[in-house]
Amino acid sequence: MAPAAGARKHNIKEALLFLAALGFMMALPMWLPNRFYIRLVNEIMIYGLLAMSLDVLLGYTGLLSFMHTSYLGIGAYITGLFLMHVAPGSLWLAILVAVAATMLVAWPVGWVQVRTGGLPFALLTLAFGMMYFTVAWKWYSLTGGDDGLMGMPRPDITFFGLTLASSGDSHAMYYFTLIVVAVCLLLTWRVIHSPLGAVLEAIRENEERAAFIGYDVRRYKLLGWMIACGLAAVSGSLFILYKGYVGPATMDAFAGAAVLMMVLLGGMGSLWGPFVGAAIFIFMQDYISTMTENWEIFVGAVVILLVLFMPKGVAGLGGLLSRGQKA
Amino acid sequence: MSPILSTSELSRHFGGVAALNLVSVAIEDKQVRSIIGPNGAGKTTLINAITGRLPVTSGTVTYLGQDITSWPIHDRVKRGLCRTFQITSVFKGLTAFENVRIARQAHKGGSLRLFASRGSLKQVTEDTWAILERVGLTDKALAPCSSLAHGDQRVLEVAIALAGGPRVLMLDEPAAGMSPTETDQVAKLISDLGREMAVVLVEHDMEMVMSISDRITVLHQGGIIAEGTPAEISDNEQVKDAYLGSEKWAPLVALD
Ligand SMILES: Nc1ncnc2c1ncn2[C@@H]1O[C@H](COP(=O)(O)OP(=O)(O)OP(=O)(O)O)[C@@H](O)[C@H]1O
Ligand SMILES: [Mg+2]
Repeated sequence: MAPAAGARKHNIKEALLFLAALGFMMALPMWLPNRFYIRLVNEIMIYGLLAMSLDVLLGYTGLLSFMHTSYLGIGAYITGLFLMHVAPGSLWLAILVAVAATMLVAWPVGWVQVRTGGLPFALLTLAFGMMYFTVAWKWYSLTGGDDGLMGMPRPDITFFGLTLASSGDSHAMYYFTLIVVAVCLLLTWRVIHSPLGAVLEAIRENEERAAFIGYDVRRYKLLGWMIACGLAAVSGSLFILYKGYVGPATMDAFAGAAVLMMVLLGGMGSLWGPFVGAAIFIFMQDYISTMTENWEIFVGAVVILLVLFMPKGVAGLGGLLSRGQKA
Repeated sequence: MSPILSTSELSRHFGGVAALNLVSVAIEDKQVRSIIGPNGAGKTTLINAITGRLPVTSGTVTYLGQDITSWPIHDRVKRGLCRTFQITSVFKGLTAFENVRIARQAHKGGSLRLFASRGSLKQVTEDTWAILERVGLTDKALAPCSSLAHGDQRVLEVAIALAGGPRVLMLDEPAAGMSPTETDQVAKLISDLGREMAVVLVEHDMEMVMSISDRITVLHQGGIIAEGTPAEISDNEQVKDAYLGSEKWAPLVALD
C-alpha cells in the first residue's frame, strides 16, 4: 500500500545515511592529529547520545526536562561505584546495572512528574535535579563530594569472553563508544517507528485527543520518560569509562542547560540532529575556552544568535533543503 | 429494552452557574438520539460529563450496567464510549491515515510493541482503510490533516471516533461549518451508524435533526424541557418558547 512503499524508500535512505555516518566515524581517528581530538570526538558522541535521549522526550513526547544530565550523572556514578566496589572487571555488567539502577531511580520521579504537564513537569525535573546534585555533592563518603568519584579501575573491553583492549586506551574507548552509541541509535530508531512511538507522537500532537481514543496518557508518558532515562544512563556509563572520573559539576544546572542547547542547536524531532548539536556545542566550547576563561559568555552569545536565526536548528536546515529540492 | 447509557440527576456547576441541572436521560441502543437547545443550554457540558472530560458536581452516569461516573477517560473509551468535539480536535501534524490508524491501534492493542514496525499491525492498517473508505476520505488519507478543508477535518473527527469501536457514539455538532452537500453526506452517514450503535447527536441544523433522529431531547438552561419523537418536539409549545428570539427558531417553524 502507498504509505508502506513511501516509508520503505525513506527507510532505505535513512539506512544508507546511517551507514555512511558510521563509516565516517570509523575512519575519523586516522585524520585526527592527536589523542586530544580523539577524546573530544568521543565526548561529542557521549553527549550526542544524551541529547538524543532528551530529544526522544522533547521532540517525540513533548516533555521538557531541564536536568537531563542528572541521569547521565547517576548512570556514571553507579557504573563507577559498581566497578570500584563490586566487580572491577565486569564492564558490560556495570553498564547493565547502571541502566537498571538509573531507571529504578527515574521511575518514581517520572511517576510524580507525569501527573503534571507542561511547565510544572519541567519545574519538577529541575527540583529533582537539584536534589540529585546535592546528594552527589554532599555525600562525601560515597561519592567523593566535590572532588568527585576517583580511583575507578579501568576494566578491559571484552566481547563474548574475548579481551579486545583496555577501556583506558583512547582509541579503544573511541571505538567502544562508537559501537554502543550506534546500537543505541538503532534501537531508538526502532522504538520511534514502532506502535509505541506512534502513541508518543499522538500524545505530543494532542494529549486530550489521545486520551479520548483510549490511551492512558500518563502511562505512556512514563514509558517515554523511562526510555529517555535508560538511554541517558548508557551515556553516563560511557562518560565515566571515557573520563575515568565523574564529579557533581557533571549534573549541575549549567550542564543541564548545555544539553538542552545541544538539542535546540541540532533541531528537535530528528535523531541525528542532537548529535550535530552536541558537535557544534562541544567544539565551540573547546575552541573558545582556549582563548578566554570566560568562555560561557561567548558560547551563550553564539547560542543566542543560532537560536534567533536558525530556530529549527540544523535539522530544520535539512528540512528547508529537501523542501527546496522538491519545489 | 434497558438503555445502554443513562444519567441520573446529573448536575454540573461552574461557580454559581448550573450548566447542567438534575439531568436524567436514557439512551437506547441502535437509535439516533439528538440533543438540541439554544446556545449555552448545556449540551456540550452534558457530553463532557458523560465522557469524563469534566467531573460532575452530583449525579451518576451508568453505561452498560456499570456506574462509570468517576472512571478515567481512557477506560470509558476502551469500553466503547467514543466522541467527537465541537471544536475540531485531531492530531494536526499527522496524516488523516495516521490519525485514524492510531485510534484503531488503541482499540485493537499492540501499542507496547517496542521493536515492531507500525505496519506490522496488519489488522489495524486494514481496518483504518475500511473506515476511511466508509467516511469518504480515502483520497485524502495521506495528506497532512492540517491541509484538509474544514469539512474534511470534521469528517475525520467522526472517523477517529469510529476507529474506537464505539457502542455509543457522541457527536458534538459534526456538521458545524459544513456546506449543504457535506451536511447531507454526514447526515446519511450518521443515520446509517444509528442502525449499528447508539448515536447521541448534538446539532443546530434542525432539518438534519428532524430527518434522522429517532428521539430528541431538548435542553434549556441546563435542564430537560421536552423529550419525544421529531414530530412531538416540533409541536411542543415549551420548545418554541425556549427557542424564541433565537435564529434557530426559523427552521423549526419551517418544518410545521
Ligand atoms: N469550562 C467552563 N467554565 C465555565 N463555564 C462553562 C464552561 N463550559 C461551559 N460553561 C457554561 O455552561 C453553560 C453551558 O455551556 P455548554 O457549552 O454546555 O452549552 P452548549 O449547549 O453546548 O452551547 P453551544 O450550542 O453554544 O455549543 C454556558 O453558560 C457556558 O458559559
Ligand atoms: Mg456546545
